[in-house]
Amino acid sequence: MLRHAICAGALLALVFVSGNAQTSLNPDISVIPRFIIDSHDGERLADGVREFSRPDFRFQELELVVSSYLNPFSRADVVLAMHSHNGDHVDFSLEEAYATVFRGLPLDLNVRLGKYRVDFGKINMMHPHQWAFVTQPLSQERFFGDEGLNDLGLSVSTLLPTGNIYTKLTFDLLRGTSIGEATGIEDTTEAKPTYATSGRVMSFFTLTDYSDLETGISMYTGIHDPYNRDRFWYWNFDFKYKYKPDMYTSLTLQGEYLFNTRKGRQDREFNQFVDDAGNPERRSIKTSGMYIFADYQFLKTYSVGARFDWSQSPYDDDDKARAIAVFFGYYPVEETLGLRLQYQNTRTDIAGVSQSVNSIALQVLFSLGPHKAHPF
Amino acid sequence: MKKILAVLAMMTLPIVAHATVRVVTTLPDLADFARQIGGDKVTVDHIVRGDQNPHFVEVKPSYMMKLKSADVFLMIGMELEMWAPQIIDGSRNARLDVVNLSKSIHKLEVPDKVDASQGDVHRYGNPHYWLDPRNIRAIVNEIVASLIKSSPADEQFFRTNAEAFLKKLDTKITEWEDAMRPLKGAKLITFHKSWSYFAAWLGLDVVDQVEPKPGIQPSPGHTAQLIQKVRAGNIKAIVVEPFYDASAPQQIARSTSATVLRLPTSVGGVDEARDYISMMDYNIRTLVEALK
Ligand SMILES: [Zn+2]
Repeated sequence: MLRHAICAGALLALVFVSGNAQTSLNPDISVIPRFIIDSHDGERLADGVREFSRPDFRFQELELVVSSYLNPFSRADVVLAMHSHNGDHVDFSLEEAYATVFRGLPLDLNVRLGKYRVDFGKINMMHPHQWAFVTQPLSQERFFGDEGLNDLGLSVSTLLPTGNIYTKLTFDLLRGTSIGEATGIEDTTEAKPTYATSGRVMSFFTLTDYSDLETGISMYTGIHDPYNRDRFWYWNFDFKYKYKPDMYTSLTLQGEYLFNTRKGRQDREFNQFVDDAGNPERRSIKTSGMYIFADYQFLKTYSVGARFDWSQSPYDDDDKARAIAVFFGYYPVEETLGLRLQYQNTRTDIAGVSQSVNSIALQVLFSLGPHKAHPF
Repeated sequence: MKKILAVLAMMTLPIVAHATVRVVTTLPDLADFARQIGGDKVTVDHIVRGDQNPHFVEVKPSYMMKLKSADVFLMIGMELEMWAPQIIDGSRNARLDVVNLSKSIHKLEVPDKVDASQGDVHRYGNPHYWLDPRNIRAIVNEIVASLIKSSPADEQFFRTNAEAFLKKLDTKITEWEDAMRPLKGAKLITFHKSWSYFAAWLGLDVVDQVEPKPGIQPSPGHTAQLIQKVRAGNIKAIVVEPFYDASAPQQIARSTSATVLRLPTSVGGVDEARDYISMMDYNIRTLVEALK
């Protein structure tokens, strides 16, 4: 508790100092809190009762982003997250802390070192406050966990010689810590770390003066079961299309499809796989997940859209879920203040038993500090 | 032997091609100046379209590609192009010469203190200085210096072209000043504070902005106040860049005798603005027509 207080004090001091000094040697600091009021009708389904729960008003997360150039060749970014899981107990976590060398390396290489959101797919690099919607897509949640693919590692990227088209190849060597998030298995073996690797190749196409398309293929492989050293492979295909005819209007279409193959002996809950005769069995599993959404921004301050998710479990093709969400956003002054309202219907289907839950959420977020230009 | 010669020829080819300086600019206006000065010794590309708000540009990988192979990057500076550092860093171009053209400009509206309650205020002062044509000489001098740095052998060529262009511009400046002299003191409302340098040059009186604060969308309350101001102050024109939504200005115009003028701040903002001089010609002509 004392440690948290000291930590918070140090952060506040940092913010205070930077707010008062005018030299640009100070790092850029942004503080982005998110709050949510939500309710769903799945609480008493087991008793055969479908009614919406009492709306719950919660502090979701506060992100503190500190970033600065280290020198003319590199920069550093640190993202601290403050969570509160119901009630007033608050915990800090280091979401990201990495240095990037972006200039001066041979072959136009770009190197990143530290803990970071890995360049895998499209949504993985986005922080929740940058989403157009409130909830995480099911496929990302199921295959990577709440935090997405976020790990300690070393990342190297280069631009491929594809003429005027921007094509980037990224390769990551990762500690493999994030795999536990995706599988539920904590790496408790005393064995050596189980390294993981990931890679992505993405291309950016300018279609017209007002529209662009980005496509990417990613892969991620590692040991998901450190006891048996069983390996998984993820292959992911992503696209993002954006049409922006003027400064007030835009239409974004984005989707990803993830394909998982793995050999496994037990599921997420450590239940052994057994064959028809009841003997332990090593299964070969192939499952997948996807999401697609459309977001239409109009009059600069409003956004309306819909998302469709479908995903199997990483362990079981008979454990499926799909969600349909519609969302509305209001951003009166850029991203300094945002309100998002979302309705979602989630239907899970496990071994033929299905359940449908409706949820409504209102999210409030604001952003203090300098606002960077938006990436595509 | 022939093969060896061919290989040698291919190896020298990039060196020959490199004799031209590859220039990328943020605004199309700067691209025009670079072309005037560099002639066939430069290739010029720009990032912002004339019909696009230069304050808000998305960081696209395609812009990084433009900078990847560039020698010189010309920008207005003063944080007009807040998006530029991300594009520069993403370009992976270590030998790019980034030229901030605002260095020797006499800056207007430099705030004492900046916080977000003032809106998107430009903390180094108003960056819209290229709309005073008397500032173009300083811009051109910076461009000449940067081109010479990249291609010292062409120094004389660049200087001659620059002088010729500035001479042509000086004649135009006199012409524009003459045309606008009778309108000195005329009152205007502008959408954004883009016209401060332009107004200071011609002695126009910019009474207020349609934006309640820089970068903040028009509000019904502020628009109502403007209607009062326009009525009381005999304001004839509301100047709006082509990329801004004109519905609030139109609303003011409907309730008063003022007209909405769509004036470009950059080349390509309207069809008539083919280069900097024709853009200013268009703006002066339109203003004279509306204010007389
Ligand atoms: Zn401005």
